[in-house]
Amino acid sequence: MIILLAIAIGSLFAGATYLVLRRSVVKLILGLIMLSHGVNLLIFTMGDGVRRGAPPLVDAQGQPPAGAADPLVQALILTAIVISFGFTAFVLALAYRSNQAVGSDDLDDLSTTDRL
Amino acid sequence: MLYPLVLIALVAAPVALLARFPGRERIAWGLALIPLSIFGLTLALAGPVWEGGQVSERIAWVSALGLDLSFTLDGLSLLFALIISGIGTLIVGYAGHYLGADSGLGRFLAYLMLFMGAMLGLVLAGNVLTMFVFWELTSVTSYLLIGYKHDYADARRGALHSLLVTGGGGLALLVGLLLLGQAAGSYELSDILAAGDLLRAHALYPAAVILILLGCFTKSAQIPFHFWLPGAMQAPTPASAFLHSATMVKAGVYLMARLSPALGGTALWDVTLAVVGGATMTFAAIVAMRQFDLKAMLAYTTISMLGALTMQIGLGGKYGAEGVATNILAHALYKSALFMLAGVIDHECGTRDLRRLGGLRAYMPQTMVVTALALLSFGGIPVMFGFVAKELMLEAALETELGATMSLLAVAAIAITAVAYLVTGWRLFSSTFLGQRSLAAMQQHVTDPALGMLIGPGVPAVLSLLIPLAFLGPISGLIEPASVAIYGKPIEVKLALWHGVNPALLVSLSAIVIGFGLARFGEHLANLRGWPAWSRGDMIFDRLIERTLAGATALTRAIQEGRLRRYILITAVTMLIFVGVPFLSFGLGSIRLDLDPQLQFYEILAAALIPIGVIATIKARTRLGAIISVGMVGAMVALLFVLFSAPDLALTQLLIEVLSTVFLLLVFSVLPVRFESFSEAWVRRRDAIVATVMGVLMGSLVLATATNDAFAPLAPFFLENSLEQGKGTNVVNVILVDFRGFDTLGEITVLFIALLGIYGLLRLRQGKGDATPERVTATEPAAEPVDTKR
Repeated sequence: MIILLAIAIGSLFAGATYLVLRRSVVKLILGLIMLSHGVNLLIFTMGDGVRRGAPPLVDAQGQPPAGAADPLVQALILTAIVISFGFTAFVLALAYRSNQAVGSDDLDDLSTTDRL
Repeated sequence: MLYPLVLIALVAAPVALLARFPGRERIAWGLALIPLSIFGLTLALAGPVWEGGQVSERIAWVSALGLDLSFTLDGLSLLFALIISGIGTLIVGYAGHYLGADSGLGRFLAYLMLFMGAMLGLVLAGNVLTMFVFWELTSVTSYLLIGYKHDYADARRGALHSLLVTGGGGLALLVGLLLLGQAAGSYELSDILAAGDLLRAHALYPAAVILILLGCFTKSAQIPFHFWLPGAMQAPTPASAFLHSATMVKAGVYLMARLSPALGGTALWDVTLAVVGGATMTFAAIVAMRQFDLKAMLAYTTISMLGALTMQIGLGGKYGAEGVATNILAHALYKSALFMLAGVIDHECGTRDLRRLGGLRAYMPQTMVVTALALLSFGGIPVMFGFVAKELMLEAALETELGATMSLLAVAAIAITAVAYLVTGWRLFSSTFLGQRSLAAMQQHVTDPALGMLIGPGVPAVLSLLIPLAFLGPISGLIEPASVAIYGKPIEVKLALWHGVNPALLVSLSAIVIGFGLARFGEHLANLRGWPAWSRGDMIFDRLIERTLAGATALTRAIQEGRLRRYILITAVTMLIFVGVPFLSFGLGSIRLDLDPQLQFYEILAAALIPIGVIATIKARTRLGAIISVGMVGAMVALLFVLFSAPDLALTQLLIEVLSTVFLLLVFSVLPVRFESFSEAWVRRRDAIVATVMGVLMGSLVLATATNDAFAPLAPFFLENSLEQGKGTNVVNVILVDFRGFDTLGEITVLFIALLGIYGLLRLRQGKGDATPERVTATEPAAEPVDTKR
């Protein structure tokens, strides 16, 4: 099971690295989205083991189910998901604006502000 | 009660700013009461020192680091503290006259007071770390004083050289002192001095000695670091007289003298000091002889005397210790006087070039008498204090335990230096006061300066004569505890003018005879062709700085060439190296790859769709294809969260995924439909390789850490305390709003800032400074032909 996750995470990081190295603004943004998926899954595997069918919910007496999943990494990922969404939205707005101003998808065209 | 000595000077620094107002001469003499009070206070506190004891105190600072503000007043500290505050008194008063026309005097005196506090702290420190702090402070204040006339390029250059050389030496010194502290087990000077035998046998001893000596040699301008001192002559003359002859440059000598009982007695220490000091002494004396600038001449003689002091510490023995203490005092007196006199001449005549001076005896008789006194002491002529000091130096060379060869070399070096001093002194005197009346003097209506300005050089010059004639007894009482501190064992010091006919006297007298014989040829010597300019230390150092800066610029240009993907590539490769190499060399640890019996086919499917989605995203030729592929990846991540006990995550992920896709569609609708291939094929291949290696590394990292039980998980704490402390059964929620509530607050702040940014970006469109591509193309051609049409 962990080996499946390792492959998924590895492919996410590989794809993200390749995409953020591209000159296209769109691909850069796709790469960033992919990177945040990869990081979230990475944090997911760093907790107290990955479990099936035991969400971290305690009963009325405060007793967790047997073999409950790690709640801390889940809390961290929840924060990360929301922040990466805010970040993605900002980058998208930035891309929208820069495309309006420069009219190009090429990062190299952004190296000068003369056309703004 | 020693720290007030340091504190008074530091606190007085802002008070000194008063001197910016008119009436500067009187304000400066008023301010001179501050160092004078320190002088008096030092004498009052010094009671036990005369009896061979010492005064100590300690104020806890960072005790955990062995860093305490501890102060000790013993013989050597007392000698230095009296020189610093005594000469300081005269310098402050003198500066009021020298910079009387300059409203920057306040700033200058403030720096000077700061320096005085730092220097007093340095010599009174009873802990090597405390001492180091003050050591660095003297470098910084020296930088400020040399760069006082900061609108001159030469002043800035001199200041920078001195800061870089002494600062670089300071770094070496710090490491050396830390090693010393490690070896001795304490940073207290008293403990270090008591651990002498242990230190000399310690494995760290050679490294510590070399690093400490680097610090001392740079500070005290020993070869090959001597070049910064002539450059420091860009400082106003009062600062040169105070810092760069009487006090700061002797900090290195002070530290070597201070540590010599603990570190001395080995070939490494003794021979290095004797050889470097002797070479510096002789070389600088010969160079001084050939200078035309009064201050440069004095600067080189100062380097020479610093070399002589270093050499005497190396030569060691009873006479070495006595010689160091006596020469420090004698030199401080006559050299500060000479510097102040050079300032007087510069101030009155507007030049200090020996070729443009001359015949001043008619205009400045008082100045001439004072100069003659100081020069006689400098030349080591009998009955002057300089003579007494030189005799001791010769005794140290004759009685050294470093062997007959070293003894002979040292005596010869001292004799050559003595001859060179006489030639230099005679050149200085004759070119300034004798000979034809110079144009500069006649044009400027030169006269003797105000009495207040002559007090500064007058007092130490007259003392150079009075001490050997009348006060040898009391001064012996000051030199004795200082010598004991340098020698490390009790000795009795009785300074005397007449020791009977002995080898030292014969060498001294023959040097005087030869010196006067050669003095007539001084001018010829100075005009001989010297070494080419590029071989001078300051030129080489300038080139070194230039090369370093050029190298740094080239490196910056190569790394930061302005393209995002270059930065990302460098970051990725750096990470691959720093994470990958330890990974490869230490292995992955014990990975458990046992097959999971509960593995379901849909789990395999969800996980397998992620790499497929990644490849599809990369391969997509249209933006819609890319959005669909990346959306699928997000959905599969959400599915994995569902399958592996994270319902909250799955919910959030799905919600966000939908929102993201909407945003993507919205924004990408204005972007080109099809992707262009911007990069060349080889670039894509290179990136693919880097990306693959990154993926493999991260995957292995997951395997290595997830199957590792080296660390106890934090999960049980949250699971157990969720209901009790957080009053909630959904542990993830409790963590978010309770245990780690501030994280969530930060998260909300980030979202809000992102929102503000997005709002700003989209609203800007309606702003009036906005230029859409259409408008840009419309205005650009219009800008040019406007004039031609008219």
